[in-house]
Amino acid sequence: MTFCLETYLQESENYEILISRAGFKDCIEVIEDHAPETIHVKPGEKILGVRIIGIPPITIGIDEKKGTITLPYTKPCYGTAVVELPVDKEEIVNIKALDIKE
Amino acid sequence: MKKALVLLGCPEAPSQTPMAVYSVYKLTSLGYQVTVASTPSALKLLEVSDPEEFYVKNKIDIETCLENLEEGSFDLLVGFVHKDAAVSYFVTFYHILNTNSIAVVFEKDPELLENYVESITGSTNATIVSARAYHNPTPIRVKFDRALKKLED
Repeated sequence: MTFCLETYLQESENYEILISRAGFKDCIEVIEDHAPETIHVKPGEKILGVRIIGIPPITIGIDEKKGTITLPYTKPCYGTAVVELPVDKEEIVNIKALDIKE
Repeated sequence: MKKALVLLGCPEAPSQTPMAVYSVYKLTSLGYQVTVASTPSALKLLEVSDPEEFYVKNKIDIETCLENLEEGSFDLLVGFVHKDAAVSYFVTFYHILNTNSIAVVFEKDPELLENYVESITGSTNATIVSARAYHNPTPIRVKFDRALKKLED
């Protein structure tokens, strides 16, 4: 079954919200400060089944040791949040492949 | 037939709904088949404003639209921006569609207005219509008309 971020956030408690109802730029700073490794993706790329929304290049945090990724999550009326959630190793490889290598 | 997508943000700003109906009217009169993508709450406002779908004939949920969006799906993107999240949505739709785009940016706080305009200018080649406005849609409408005229010339 394909992983779906929307469903995961609704059904699981195994994630951390680092900041919420914030501006996009503030969220990117949070990801850069928090994650030991970052990659950058184009707006509209699909990660964990959802399109990533934001201003390019969009920073995605990766923590291979913890097995987590950290990403911005935007909703029209609620602004942007930063979510850190566990993903398997294979998914980290898929996400790294989206890096636009600035 | 040319296709246009009107992208609405959070419906909090009073000017958005009348400007949405107006932009659909204008684009339709210019020969576009227009679809409006919005949140469910913005959609409710549109449904009450235009109960017989006299102007707004095609509506889609913003998330469903984004999910299925591809380059070439529309010939023109018109996005209403009056919140930080709307900047992100507009820029994302712009980069997926890669087509002629107009950002209609309005906000009563001049500093926020400038920030939104700078973010869009720095990440797209979209035409920007910006106005200090909240309740009164007239400044937005006048500038939007000018931008459309330029686009058609």
